[in-house]
Amino acid sequence: MQEYQLRYIENTKEIAALLDVSKGEDSETEKIRRLAAKEKIDALKKENVDLLNRHLFTCLDELHAASPDTIRELEEFADVLMDWKSNLDCGIYLLIHESLLTLYRFRRDRNNTIKELYKVGMGMYYRSRSVQGITSNLTNSLYFEGEMMFSEAASYLKYFAEIDDDETKGYIIRSLANTAICVRDLKKKVEIGLRVLQIIQDPFYQQLAPNLPWDVFLQRTHQQMSSNRAIMSRGNLSADELAAVLESCEYVFEPEAHKGDPNVRWLWPYYEMEYSCGFVDIDTTLDRMERLILEADEHSFELSDMYAKCQLPIYYGTLLRRNEKLRNRPKRMRFLKEAYDRMLGVIMDYPLEKDIEYFSYLTVLIITDYYETEGVPSYLEITSKLLRKLSGISYLNSLKAMKITVYLCDILLKEDPSFFDDIPFIAEETDPEKKKELLFRYGETCALYCDFGLLKMNMERLTHTRNLLDKEYEIYQLHTVSGHDDLAARESTKIYADCAYGHHAWYSGSGGYPEGYVRSESPYRQMTAVIALVAYLVENYEHGMDLRELVDTEKRRFSPLLIALMMDEEHLKAVQTLLEQ
Amino acid sequence: MKRGYAVIKVKEETILYQNDAFRKDDVRERILLNDDTELWISGEDERYEDAMKLLDEARQENQAKETFLSNMSHDIRTPMNAIIGLTSLAKNHIDEKARVADSLNKIEVASGHLLSLINEVLDMSRINSGRLTINEEHFWLSDLLHEVLTVIKPQMEEKHHHLIFRTGDILYESLYGDTLRLRQIFVNIINNSVKYTNENGEILVSFGQEMQDERCYLCFRCQDNGIGMSEDFLKKIFDPFERANSTTISRIEGTGLGMSIVKKLIETLDGTIEISSVLNEGTCVDIRIPLRYEKAKVDIQALKGRNILILENDPEIRQKIAQYLKDDDIAYKETASFSEAISLLTDDEFRGEKTDVLLLGEIGEATGDLFDVASYLHKAHPEMTIVLVGDQDWNDIEYRANRSGIEHFVPLPLFRKSLINGIAAALSEHDQGPASTGLDLSGKRILLVEDNFINREIAKEILFATNVTIDVAENGQEALDRYLSGTHYDAILMDVQMPVMNGYEASRAIRSSGKDDAATIKIFAMTANTFAEDIAKAKEAGMDSHIAKPIDIHKLMQALRTI
Repeated sequence: MQEYQLRYIENTKEIAALLDVSKGEDSETEKIRRLAAKEKIDALKKENVDLLNRHLFTCLDELHAASPDTIRELEEFADVLMDWKSNLDCGIYLLIHESLLTLYRFRRDRNNTIKELYKVGMGMYYRSRSVQGITSNLTNSLYFEGEMMFSEAASYLKYFAEIDDDETKGYIIRSLANTAICVRDLKKKVEIGLRVLQIIQDPFYQQLAPNLPWDVFLQRTHQQMSSNRAIMSRGNLSADELAAVLESCEYVFEPEAHKGDPNVRWLWPYYEMEYSCGFVDIDTTLDRMERLILEADEHSFELSDMYAKCQLPIYYGTLLRRNEKLRNRPKRMRFLKEAYDRMLGVIMDYPLEKDIEYFSYLTVLIITDYYETEGVPSYLEITSKLLRKLSGISYLNSLKAMKITVYLCDILLKEDPSFFDDIPFIAEETDPEKKKELLFRYGETCALYCDFGLLKMNMERLTHTRNLLDKEYEIYQLHTVSGHDDLAARESTKIYADCAYGHHAWYSGSGGYPEGYVRSESPYRQMTAVIALVAYLVENYEHGMDLRELVDTEKRRFSPLLIALMMDEEHLKAVQTLLEQ
Repeated sequence: MKRGYAVIKVKEETILYQNDAFRKDDVRERILLNDDTELWISGEDERYEDAMKLLDEARQENQAKETFLSNMSHDIRTPMNAIIGLTSLAKNHIDEKARVADSLNKIEVASGHLLSLINEVLDMSRINSGRLTINEEHFWLSDLLHEVLTVIKPQMEEKHHHLIFRTGDILYESLYGDTLRLRQIFVNIINNSVKYTNENGEILVSFGQEMQDERCYLCFRCQDNGIGMSEDFLKKIFDPFERANSTTISRIEGTGLGMSIVKKLIETLDGTIEISSVLNEGTCVDIRIPLRYEKAKVDIQALKGRNILILENDPEIRQKIAQYLKDDDIAYKETASFSEAISLLTDDEFRGEKTDVLLLGEIGEATGDLFDVASYLHKAHPEMTIVLVGDQDWNDIEYRANRSGIEHFVPLPLFRKSLINGIAAALSEHDQGPASTGLDLSGKRILLVEDNFINREIAKEILFATNVTIDVAENGQEALDRYLSGTHYDAILMDVQMPVMNGYEASRAIRSSGKDDAATIKIFAMTANTFAEDIAKAKEAGMDSHIAKPIDIHKLMQALRTI
């Protein structure tokens, strides 16, 4: 690999490590440590951007003229940035492989085109995972792009006999199987899985490429098929398709389930499969689940115990949420409360250095599927703890944003006591002091929750590693929609949803994102306008900057009233002091 | 002497109605009609019943006119109030763009409604005075039906109605008639169905043709599951100023002249109209209009020897396309899924064969949309012409479609003429360049700014196929000099990282050069740098858009389509 490539990898790993260690509780000592980490991270990011600008982009600019060695080094570099096990920088991996695909298509180099179709497909799949659980045209397109790449590579299957090297044949088979991972229609997933199982067990293909790992293909395809188990009871699968999923479940889970001390991560899917097929009823299933949750080691943070203590309670809650009869059983609801309480404790105690990737995955699961109901910890409580634990150095910015928001709200309220009265619960409070206090707490929470959607998208590392590529920026913008949807779906957080949705939209409606935000229709619009300005200042202000100029440059984005307020010398100084803290 | 009658409002002695023979000086009889109105009869004595009959007619006519005036005053006032109120609202919130835009949209709707009211009243007046003229002209049935669909679709969508559009036997696509009036008839009938059907209703519209006595009848049917009509109302449906009353739907606005106009128009065109309806179940309207026709030939020469791939998930449409192509001996393959399409194209690629045209229709349960499919296939097979077959409004999707590599559009419902002509037109545009890039830039001149020799050669090779004239500059300074030298360029393809002067600086200098086209000439940045911030920086420097490197045909053509 070239020097810049090694340096970029090293920097990226260091940034990831610094980000990980700076997460956790926010004591004063921690804050100082985070500040130091932030400075280091900023410097590394700057260097990364420079490396890409000076070397990688120049190389890709002139790719048609690149030597075979340069191309080989590029491939090596890309494959370190992302493989099945780690995702150091999926965006740059994808950029390199997309460029190589263009090159090989142009050269009409069939075998390399097939390889690159597979690699680009993989990159697209990983990229689309950052938006799983979010439904939009963009997310559909992201999945679909991957599906098309794999489909094209897989379409060379009919020339399997004529293709002369095993590596290309391997890419064809892998692409064929991977088409299913990018498909969101569950029935289609099963159809593809069935076809793949047929092909990889067909002696005709096996004899044509005896060196390919056919047994691994078989195992992985069965695993993939078994992940469709949850749809068996509600999908419109044919008898053959049902049988195929069942067979895959047995292939994957049965040997594990019947071991002396079975791992809960295999046992629960097996139980789930039995329930989905109607072999056991819902009560037996819930009893089994309760037993697995209770049997987990209270003090262990091992994966299987975390699975039982944190993931299973979420699945338990989902089953209750979907079934009204179950919700009416006090025993089940009591258990849910206990399981959620315990889960909250485990989350707070979890040492992030153990496995931050897993913890991030768990966070997405909780944010998406947490069942807020009477008696359980509120969604606000659990997510604010997650935010504090996971946002690390970003939390420093949140603290600043909270303080500036309170400052601006105070001034606005002094000038016009009814300024925020479009917000129903603020208007209802008649005692001025209580009203002020209520507004300040609301403003602080809005400042903390405005980027809530980012937590689920797991993009923090990327934003600190380098600048975002254009497609990534498009994906990044979805955090407004994602945050809004999750917050609006729960009673305890719904008042913060509009702020998360509209804080990047321009006041006049003529720019920003998302397109769906209509300021005039939101009762929370005044607070959203405040947060929009505050978030912009916190994000863009750097030490020693001319704040007046910063505000003035982008004033068309914000409320004219707030801009006028900010231009007042006294307020400008006060806000600058808070930004400098 | 003929008898005269007059209805007099007594106290002011105002004449409310009188016939020609009434003479006020010769009043023989006064009949009290109500507290302050009398009927005065003059002239020779005749049968009293005659007088009463006339009186009744006069009353009815007056009543209808009063109702009409009352309705019209409401119907005109409603949109006028909306226009006045919304204008004021917009003025009060002039700094809130979203609110002003919303008000303007609503004003547009209200103005359109007002205009249609006025048009109907004028039409009726024209019909009553015998001034209606029919202008027979040649037209294609497909064009007429697509126009009708375009007009009614927005209303359908607004009320979330499900439109089932069917075409029966089409014997002759080339016809003669008054398209303005035909469109008016069909749109009026379908609009009634839309209006008098509650939200999420189902409306079936079908067109077909029948031969009778050597005349070709255009047969139209519109059937809905709306509120229907009572038997009593059905009898009066063609009377002017009559409207169905309903408590199940909100107040329906209109003059009540529509059906009366339709009836008169159909009669003028020598056609027939039949209406059947059941209250609360729905209404069915059948219209038959004879039209002159001709056996027009569609030129299929452009399609001979071409390979066509049909990607259409709807079996009925796929079959119809296949049938039209088969009838003319044009080679085609068909598939319902995009993955099978990819596979068929791979086949061709592997065998060294070529698919000339992709007819892209519905793509079924795919995760992405058809633009994703088009874009992908265009990228993989840039030499293939992609024609979209669909029921979209082309104006709405043209920009995105072109960006995805779709070159032409064939609207549904499908007709042989529009299909064959659509493919031929797309092929004709596509074949302009020797290497079939689908883009003819003859007569245009482009400045290619690129410091790397191989990149220059590749870009030139791709651009050569478009017949464009290419000038080359090797850095930003050279590009600026060439631009300022007086040569007119239609676009500049600008590398970003270059020695002497980079692309940003050169673009800034061009934009601020003061030359006539300095603000409008298209400048495309060509770079592998796709950082969102740098793309924004390129825009700030005056570049219009961004072509990612390494360059390929698809990306370059996408950009050049905009010049």
